[in-house]
Amino acid sequence: MPIKERLADSARMVRGYIVRAYSSFTAKVFDVPPRLLAFLSLLVLLAIPCLGGKYLSMLTYACVYAILAVSWDLLVGRTGQVSLGHAFFFGMGAYSSALLIQYYGSDTVTILLLQTTIPIFLITIPAALAIGVVLAILLGLPALRVKGPYLGLLTLCIPLIMSTITNWHPLSDIFHGTSGIKVPLFFSFLRGNPIRDTVEYYFALTVLFFSAVIIYKVATSKTGIVFVSILDNELAAKACGINVTRYKLLSFVISGLFGTLSGCIYVHLITMRARPLLFDLTYSFLPITMTFLGGLGTIYGPLVGAFIYNFLDQYIMPTYLAPVLDSMGLSTYFGQLRIIIFALIVITIIIKWPRGIARTIVDKLDDLAKPRDIEERGPRIWKKYKKEQKESRLRKIFSRFKKKQEEKEVET
Amino acid sequence: MSSPESGKPHLLEVINVTKKFGGLVAVNNISLQIDEGERVGLIGPNGAGKTTLFNIISGFLKPTSGKIMFKGEDITKLPPHKIVNKGIARTFQIMRPFRHLPVIANVMVSLKSPRGSRKIEWVKTMERKALDLLEDVGLSELMLEPAENLGYGDLKRLEVARALATEPDLIMLDEPFGGLNPVETEFLTRTLITMHQDEPSRAILIVEHKLYALMKIVDRVIVMHQGEKIAEGKPEEIVKNKKVIEVYTGGTL
Repeated sequence: MPIKERLADSARMVRGYIVRAYSSFTAKVFDVPPRLLAFLSLLVLLAIPCLGGKYLSMLTYACVYAILAVSWDLLVGRTGQVSLGHAFFFGMGAYSSALLIQYYGSDTVTILLLQTTIPIFLITIPAALAIGVVLAILLGLPALRVKGPYLGLLTLCIPLIMSTITNWHPLSDIFHGTSGIKVPLFFSFLRGNPIRDTVEYYFALTVLFFSAVIIYKVATSKTGIVFVSILDNELAAKACGINVTRYKLLSFVISGLFGTLSGCIYVHLITMRARPLLFDLTYSFLPITMTFLGGLGTIYGPLVGAFIYNFLDQYIMPTYLAPVLDSMGLSTYFGQLRIIIFALIVITIIIKWPRGIARTIVDKLDDLAKPRDIEERGPRIWKKYKKEQKESRLRKIFSRFKKKQEEKEVET
Repeated sequence: MSSPESGKPHLLEVINVTKKFGGLVAVNNISLQIDEGERVGLIGPNGAGKTTLFNIISGFLKPTSGKIMFKGEDITKLPPHKIVNKGIARTFQIMRPFRHLPVIANVMVSLKSPRGSRKIEWVKTMERKALDLLEDVGLSELMLEPAENLGYGDLKRLEVARALATEPDLIMLDEPFGGLNPVETEFLTRTLITMHQDEPSRAILIVEHKLYALMKIVDRVIVMHQGEKIAEGKPEEIVKNKKVIEVYTGGTL
């Protein structure tokens, strides 16, 4: 075969591959409006440092909080187990890792088998996650007996207990009181380097991406369906043969795992110190506010909510509110007024869009897509059923009724 | 009462079950047997204790005294989900759909996931099974609709599909025709009859007030009144039973 034809052949093949890859990508991403939006916003997030990020650290915060918010949403928005104390996982993640490091007493570990030295957090973070799972089961146990607002009250108290314990004077040898335990940072070796912010941001974004994908996978699997069935009707779920106890605990474990992860990342990436402040009510209510801003019971809701929250709180407030207050001579009250005005904005948004900003938008897009929905992009298996749908048994029986009636008319 | 041949145990055996709520005796010393493939109706005026008996059999309530045997096993103390997995499914009088979930997912909740096979395969087989069940009850056109958008009759059918999805040996229906119009009633009756023809070994226990529809389905009727069993027999006999007529009309005719 001449070389020219061979080249043309292989070129055709390559083109075929590209076309197939593109069409499968478009079928999977572009045909589903929420996924398309998610994809586009991921691109924007990835591109932000290239645009010259003055507020990169704000976005890093947003990424870490988003992990916490997504984990809260899985537990409350999907399984219906009200938790007002997610700061427990957040703080315990930070403290588990910090205490392990404090007792080991060094920032690096030498692994004898490999003859290499690795930073200690590579070991303490997985350990902290394991501790988080155990704690999630412990926190989940009351949920088997207590429901709704009562469970909320119960979970609300637990981080407050932890906050008091870590602040307690007789234990200051262990917890070091308010100043907290110092931990090594992930990217301390980049100190003074201008790319440090960018690296931190990409790191947080990567962790957020994988956490969100894992939680999305869980939420769309059969386990996720069962979670929603428990939210909707526990009794009916039992009647369907679901071991409600097991699934409630599972939900607590998954949620607690990612809550702990966000605590670890927060302390190792941003604050450098595990403080009693982490058990504060603020960190219990942050994920709640974020989730309600974005949309309860969705995966994208808390993600979007976290970014909106941080945008409002750390960008809009200092850049627009501060000059106004300065001109009015009220700059000393900035701290208080900031919270009041921020709260008013949040209340307005929640009244205006009770389902959350992101969810309202996605629902509207879905409505736009609906007319061509089932005809064109219905999943594979549903297409096969289209023919059978048209001749469903209901219609068959109606036609039988008609026939019988006609026969009767003929007879009479 | 049909007794099993060759010493095989009854499918379901309720032995002297009593349930008291404080001073109120809801179910008083009831005994009944159901064999494989039998279709039994349970009737009685309001407050007769039918639903309480249902709740006791399906494990949502524990009896004050008495025993419940299923396939020769004592299931009195088992939690509801284990009883379902043993093979007793039930529907509720007040419908309890999972309203956030699409219709097809409602059915998938109660499907047992087969073990050992690859994940993608079983997701597909589960969808397939759920669709088959929806087809049986005539809901396949609405499979992607969230359950909260469904009408009353559709929800009743969804309940039946969900109970069938657990592959039960005994299915207990609590007023399946309540609130349905004649066409829907006719359709559900046919569905139940076809279901019985497809799987003759599956026993059915129905609580129903619409006697006309009920009598078409069942082989045997049990009548309850104020927590006690007052009559049992074939539909034709029950209709003529003086005691039953008295209970239903509130006195002698």
